[in-house]
Amino acid sequence: MTGRYFAGVDIGSTMTKVVIMDQALVASVIGPTGPEHRKLANRVMEEALAKAQLSFDEIDYVVATGYGRINVPFADKQITEISCHARGAIYMVPGARTVIDIGGQDCKGIQVKEGRVIDFVMNDKCAAGTGRFLEVTAEELGVDLEDMGRLSLEAENRVEISSTCTVFAAQEVVARLSEGVPLADIVAGLHWAIATRIYRMVRRLKIEKEVVLTGGGAKNAGLVNALEAKLGFPAVVPTEPLLTGAMGAALLGSDMVMKATESGTSLPRRERRLDEATLFT
Amino acid sequence: MEEQKWPEKYPVEGKRGRKYGTVAAMKVGPMVKAAIGSSVEAQQEDKDIAYTFIECNYDEIIRAMDIVPVWTENYAGICGAKRDAQRFLERAESLNLSRSLCTYALCGLGFDEWREELGEMPPDSPWGGQARPGVMLSSGQILCDPRNKWYQAAQQFQPDVPIYNVAGLFPMYERDVDSHEIEGYYAKYITEDLRGLVKFLEEHFHKKMDWDRLWETIKLADATTDLHVECRELRKAVPTPMDTGDAMNCMVPQAFMMGTQEAYDFYRDLRDELRYKVEHKLGVVEEEKYRLVWAGGLPSWFALSDFNYFWSKGATFPVESTYNEQVYSANELDLPKTDDPLEYMAWRWIRRWTYWYDLARKRPGSEPDVERTINYIEQYDIDGIVMHEAFSCRTWHVGLIWQLNQLRKIYRDVPSLILESDIVDISSYNEADTRARIDAFIDTLEAVKSR
Repeated sequence: MTGRYFAGVDIGSTMTKVVIMDQALVASVIGPTGPEHRKLANRVMEEALAKAQLSFDEIDYVVATGYGRINVPFADKQITEISCHARGAIYMVPGARTVIDIGGQDCKGIQVKEGRVIDFVMNDKCAAGTGRFLEVTAEELGVDLEDMGRLSLEAENRVEISSTCTVFAAQEVVARLSEGVPLADIVAGLHWAIATRIYRMVRRLKIEKEVVLTGGGAKNAGLVNALEAKLGFPAVVPTEPLLTGAMGAALLGSDMVMKATESGTSLPRRERRLDEATLFT
Repeated sequence: MEEQKWPEKYPVEGKRGRKYGTVAAMKVGPMVKAAIGSSVEAQQEDKDIAYTFIECNYDEIIRAMDIVPVWTENYAGICGAKRDAQRFLERAESLNLSRSLCTYALCGLGFDEWREELGEMPPDSPWGGQARPGVMLSSGQILCDPRNKWYQAAQQFQPDVPIYNVAGLFPMYERDVDSHEIEGYYAKYITEDLRGLVKFLEEHFHKKMDWDRLWETIKLADATTDLHVECRELRKAVPTPMDTGDAMNCMVPQAFMMGTQEAYDFYRDLRDELRYKVEHKLGVVEEEKYRLVWAGGLPSWFALSDFNYFWSKGATFPVESTYNEQVYSANELDLPKTDDPLEYMAWRWIRRWTYWYDLARKRPGSEPDVERTINYIEQYDIDGIVMHEAFSCRTWHVGLIWQLNQLRKIYRDVPSLILESDIVDISSYNEADTRARIDAFIDTLEAVKSR
């Protein structure tokens, strides 16, 4: 430990992630982002501090990211997910050139060169191509979301899911079930459909190795498998893909503080109080 | 940083939160409102009215014949900007017209169907409504595919209103074909097409074309375009004195009032304002950090405030491709000499549309739209590219990704952002998501600049 700690808070659409880092990961907490939880980033932060056995005063700088980044009243700075995911991915996979982040309600492709973002694409308008697609269809199939990836790998004859809309895809799934199509083949078809949509979007960028998969979608072995098939080569999944954005946020905070220190200046910090967000009250 | 000192003549505070917009742009709203109002009055006074499309090469003809134009795309845009298009779109949808057709057309058709059903303007029509025409001047122009079908569909509700379809052709770009070798054929065709239009208007409205007046109108329009070109050149200054947010308003006289003294006066005033601002280094934003090109797509008329959001990040748009297709001085087009005003208009039309062809052919792998963007990047010192994919506008939608990829291949990597929404249909728009994309794009620009 260096004695300087940096926190990254990533408020995603479905999960809230907090990390505390020095040069390495010191502590991390992952919790759900429900309507009631959005304003409770402070509690997740408290939990992370307890795990790290640190007081909030000991945190040098706090960076918030994710779609809910503006709801973190104790953050010193807000930085977009694109920058944070890129920084986190490069930290975990130094040779990263393309980052594909598959989140709960959006999907991003990021092109990286010499450690910096040079281009990006986002899908934030349609559930197809995001974790939400699998959530909805898993519910329709009566399968636990966590089991979907494993199940897809058991398929023998993957079916084509032609609907491009999540709602209609769920209806198509029911129709296939009633035709007696094996569950694994349907689930594999769903994974192929989502991988196709993600690949179609990310192809707008120049896809170069290493391709790093992050976000909750990267924890799904079936989706990783399907995406690798679309890419035509293996992708890299970091040890904890869900923490990429939060780690990137903490690291960017560290970069900024170090840069300021080198130039003999200091960055403005918020008072170290773990208040709830007031946006929803 | 010391705050800019602004002269009283060009005040800082404008209407609608427009902090550093041009004074000229603030005149546009009232100008359009007055034009729409006068077309409604013209209907009441039984004057000669035509439904018209922009960039169809007939502006001077209708002005010289005192025909009141009703710019149907413009009216749909007004409905969109006033966030009052949905009720007209829903009318069109209930006629079983696809939501993915041009939403300008859907809005206009929904309006027409309602107006014809009522026998009067629909309740609370934006700015008084869209006047009923005596004729409809459609276009088979390759720029925009729904234009001839739109007015054909409108005839369902107003079958007594005849259509004249202006072909508006120009040579397509082909890498291995010198357009100069074939443009003469096009010129002959367009000249005769315009002659047919004049005859149609003379017969329908029982009036004769005054050919001397047409020449005078052409000269006025050319002088107006020269002023507009000068304005675009002045925007190269750092900091830029005017950006695309304003240009989307300042295009109005070029697109909808060409051949009028009002349009000429507008660009003269705008030119003077920009000259002053350049001389005194008065920019759109206090600290211009990033210079962007709007390289394709019509804007979301209901979300022009997104430009203010760019400004809040220190990003400006010194130049745009949209609405600039006809803004080339006739003096630099090397037009053949002719005594026939219609032939002159035909050649001017072709040379403007093929303006970038020769340059594109000189750069392997380029094509006119890509070449234009490359030139803008260099001439306007551009850091990034922004495009808008309006889902209902096929004209602008097709090819944007290809252009970006080609630009990277033959030129260099330039950070780019593609916004996704529509021109009129507000249900396609999500402000939070749009701004999240803009935030990420600004991060990317910063990262690239600090390399």
